[in-house]
Amino acid sequence: MAHSHSKQPKPAGPKSKTIGLLAQFDDPDSLVAACERARDAGYEKFDAYSPFPVHGIDPAMGIRRTRLPFFVLAIGLTGCLVALAMQYYTNAMDWTKIFPGYAFYISGKPLEISPANIPVTFEVIILSSAFATFFGMWIFNRLPQFANPLHRIDRFRRATNDRFFLMVNADDSKYDANRTRQQFEEWGATAIENVDMDLTDQEIPKFFKLAGIVGLFLLLVPPVMIFRAYGSTNRAPRLHVVPDMDWQDKYKAQQTSPNIGTDKEPVYLYADDRAMRAPVAGTIARGDLQEDDRYYRGYEPGTLPPPAQPVAADGSSASFVSTSGPSAQDSAPAAQDPATTGQYPGEPDWIETVPSPFVVSETAIARGKQRFEIYCSVCHGYDGNGNGLVNKRALALAATGQAQWTTAKSLHDPTVKVQPIGRIFDTISNGRNSMGPYKAQIPVEDRWAIALYVKALQETGIQPAAGAAPPAAPQQ
Amino acid sequence: MATVDLTSLDNTIEDGKHRAPLVLGGMDYSDVTDAVAGVWEKKQPAIWWPIFGLAVSLTMLFGALIMHLFFTGVGVWGNNNPTYWAFDIVNFVFWVGIGHAGTLISAILFLFRQHWRTSINRAAEAMTIFAVVCAATFPGIHIGRIWVFYWLFPVPTEHLAMWPNFRSPLLWDVFAVGTYATTSLLFWYMGMVPDLATFRDRSKSKIGQFVYGLLSLGWTGSARNWHRYEMAYTILAALATPLVLSVHTVVSFDFAVSQLPGWHTTIFPPYFVAGAIFSGFAMVVTLLVPVRKLYGLENLITIRHLENMNKIIMATGLMVGTAYSIELFIAAYSGVASEQFAFYNRAFGNFGWAYFIMFTCNVFIPQLFWFKWCRTTPWFMVIVSIFVNIGMWFERFVIIMALCRDFIPGSWFYYRPTWVDLMMLIGSFGLFFTLFLLFCRYLPVIAMSEVKNVIPHADHGHEGGHGHEGGHPATSH
Repeated sequence: MAHSHSKQPKPAGPKSKTIGLLAQFDDPDSLVAACERARDAGYEKFDAYSPFPVHGIDPAMGIRRTRLPFFVLAIGLTGCLVALAMQYYTNAMDWTKIFPGYAFYISGKPLEISPANIPVTFEVIILSSAFATFFGMWIFNRLPQFANPLHRIDRFRRATNDRFFLMVNADDSKYDANRTRQQFEEWGATAIENVDMDLTDQEIPKFFKLAGIVGLFLLLVPPVMIFRAYGSTNRAPRLHVVPDMDWQDKYKAQQTSPNIGTDKEPVYLYADDRAMRAPVAGTIARGDLQEDDRYYRGYEPGTLPPPAQPVAADGSSASFVSTSGPSAQDSAPAAQDPATTGQYPGEPDWIETVPSPFVVSETAIARGKQRFEIYCSVCHGYDGNGNGLVNKRALALAATGQAQWTTAKSLHDPTVKVQPIGRIFDTISNGRNSMGPYKAQIPVEDRWAIALYVKALQETGIQPAAGAAPPAAPQQ
Repeated sequence: MATVDLTSLDNTIEDGKHRAPLVLGGMDYSDVTDAVAGVWEKKQPAIWWPIFGLAVSLTMLFGALIMHLFFTGVGVWGNNNPTYWAFDIVNFVFWVGIGHAGTLISAILFLFRQHWRTSINRAAEAMTIFAVVCAATFPGIHIGRIWVFYWLFPVPTEHLAMWPNFRSPLLWDVFAVGTYATTSLLFWYMGMVPDLATFRDRSKSKIGQFVYGLLSLGWTGSARNWHRYEMAYTILAALATPLVLSVHTVVSFDFAVSQLPGWHTTIFPPYFVAGAIFSGFAMVVTLLVPVRKLYGLENLITIRHLENMNKIIMATGLMVGTAYSIELFIAAYSGVASEQFAFYNRAFGNFGWAYFIMFTCNVFIPQLFWFKWCRTTPWFMVIVSIFVNIGMWFERFVIIMALCRDFIPGSWFYYRPTWVDLMMLIGSFGLFFTLFLLFCRYLPVIAMSEVKNVIPHADHGHEGGHGHEGGHPATSH
């Protein structure tokens, strides 16, 4: 194996430093043998370069086993804890003030860590371990390192192709330019050359510092702008990326249908400008039949006086306000005094007892009390004396002319006390005077429960409050 | 350099006493470098340009359709009550499945010391990443309000005060596919660094030297670096092995965790993983047979490599066939009427034709590989593997079309894809092939450093007595 001196011209000038001596070998076995001998010769700072990992070179060079696996294990375990903590925080805790968690039972899975949390935990372990392996390997290898004197040697380009190299660093205690070269020749090197570091371009150009500072400053601008936008309010309308999700071509309930044609040839969904259709005459929607007058409307069947004007077909919204005086074939109580019987002229026969299927019970009264306190007590007060909070506040406002208000009726008023339960039910359902209807909010069963509770309240002996005297005019 | 007669050498039979070479033609280290770097250095074969042009046009079509989808809404697809999931998830599962072969070859075969993987792992890994890119596109564009895509991730938001539901399989998917894409990318790139250094050292142009110099991170091939590198490679392989099995398991949870007859089965995870490997290997064969022919890599990607892959295709095809049969048996044996209906409907219902295609392509056609001629003839195996890919696409289609006949016969519906659905499927192939062609053009298609490691000389003392002569590598065999 003839050696050949480097044909590289040595960089002239003092600004160059030899950092090591490089020997080339033509096959991996010679490299391994040379590494063994270099180690035996007492060299410590040397390295071998090959296009692929050469078998047996680690013991030959005395490379200690890397600690990379322990690093990966530590990061992987951290990833496991982070994943569990993240899932617990976001899905099982909701009491933190900033970025509160979102603790909701979804598809019956428990909030706490359960098998449903394993997949994400597993993936986070793998992901963090993979990052630790990848970046840990490069960091342990001190890569990337783009400026390496070895890359300036033409011959060394074959280190990634088909040649094998051994370099002894110049700062090794055993290094001696001549003796090391001699040893390389003995060990079968096919080429030997100096590795020189060019010192002329070691210094960073001055403008780099300035450019770096300016660059860092500019990098800060976007996050600052984003943060500023994030923390400020904006009066401009929201930006709609895809507008047709917000403004859809459809009609909503109770809208008129606008002209979808041109002005010259208008096109409407329906000729009457509506977007919805009224029910077909003579039909009743499912669940709306409600033919039991006693239960659904609180009066004896067939006692409803004929209305003065046509009203809704099912009679459920029969207007008592507009009925005019006692009708001819009105029922018997019409002749009696409404103040003692509660049966007013022009009204049907109100039932005196609760209708089936409603059953009077402790539970029903309790339910009635609870509903009463939700819906009625705000005006009528908890004791039914018409002193609810809304009433008080409204009267106070009315006293200064800021509002108009009719005093809420005391339920202990004699004119109310005599009313049959059917009429109270009707008042709750359809409202009376300035009181609004509660039919839509309260299901029929609960209305009976409230009516029952009102009757119970009236039996307690509570007297009408002195200040809340009933208006002189009879109820109409 | 070739000292061995190419025609007389047969490496397909593994003889215990005499290891069959993995590289033919008596190639030495520099021959390997020349062959692989030649793919990048030499002019591309004439056919590269028309294929690339077609692939890029399809990619642009894909992009245009995605824009159309964003600005018009998911109504451009054929998804409709009750088929809320259709082509988008079929394509997603199909592409993720394709993506399984790469990591399987790189990680699992590495851990099992299957040295024949070295010639094919790089291209397979690249294919994995490109397939995962295609896969991730579909659920990504399906979310409707694309501009709040970050709600998929646990990002703290003060205004929203909401977090993802970590107990939902759809969120597991985000993490599984995200982790898989990231880990595959790291694995692929790390494996490529020594070869990128080779490109850096061979590059004649300044741009090439700069770009490959940057990408190869200053790699020198130092033994100390190799030591940690090999350790890291082994660890990544060990991490990727459970990962690759978990990804399609999690994908199958999208179905199996739901409570729908025909979906709610415990056989889904293993059956999906087997199917994924099956389709992935079919895609590797589909791609590598033309690549080895076009770039003259027959000595590196040998018939033995292809045959091994075909054997895996046949094995996994049998597993998939077993799963199909077990599914039918369990449904019949369960005594649950809705379960029985789901499978009866699958086989004989309105999408029975798809079930027929699936069964034929996945179970019957791969049986041809029992014949040696079939599994060693390149053009023929490509045809079979294309059939397998068609069959595997239809497998996902068949599973998802169970939605068409749900619990209320009144809402039954025959799903029809729109032109956007079909063009997007084709467009995703365009994206895949564009990326793969660019990979062939600019990156090392074969892991040179790994192949050099399995050339007989580097394999100390295993090459039949010619161990330590220290001569030229080519003379040792």
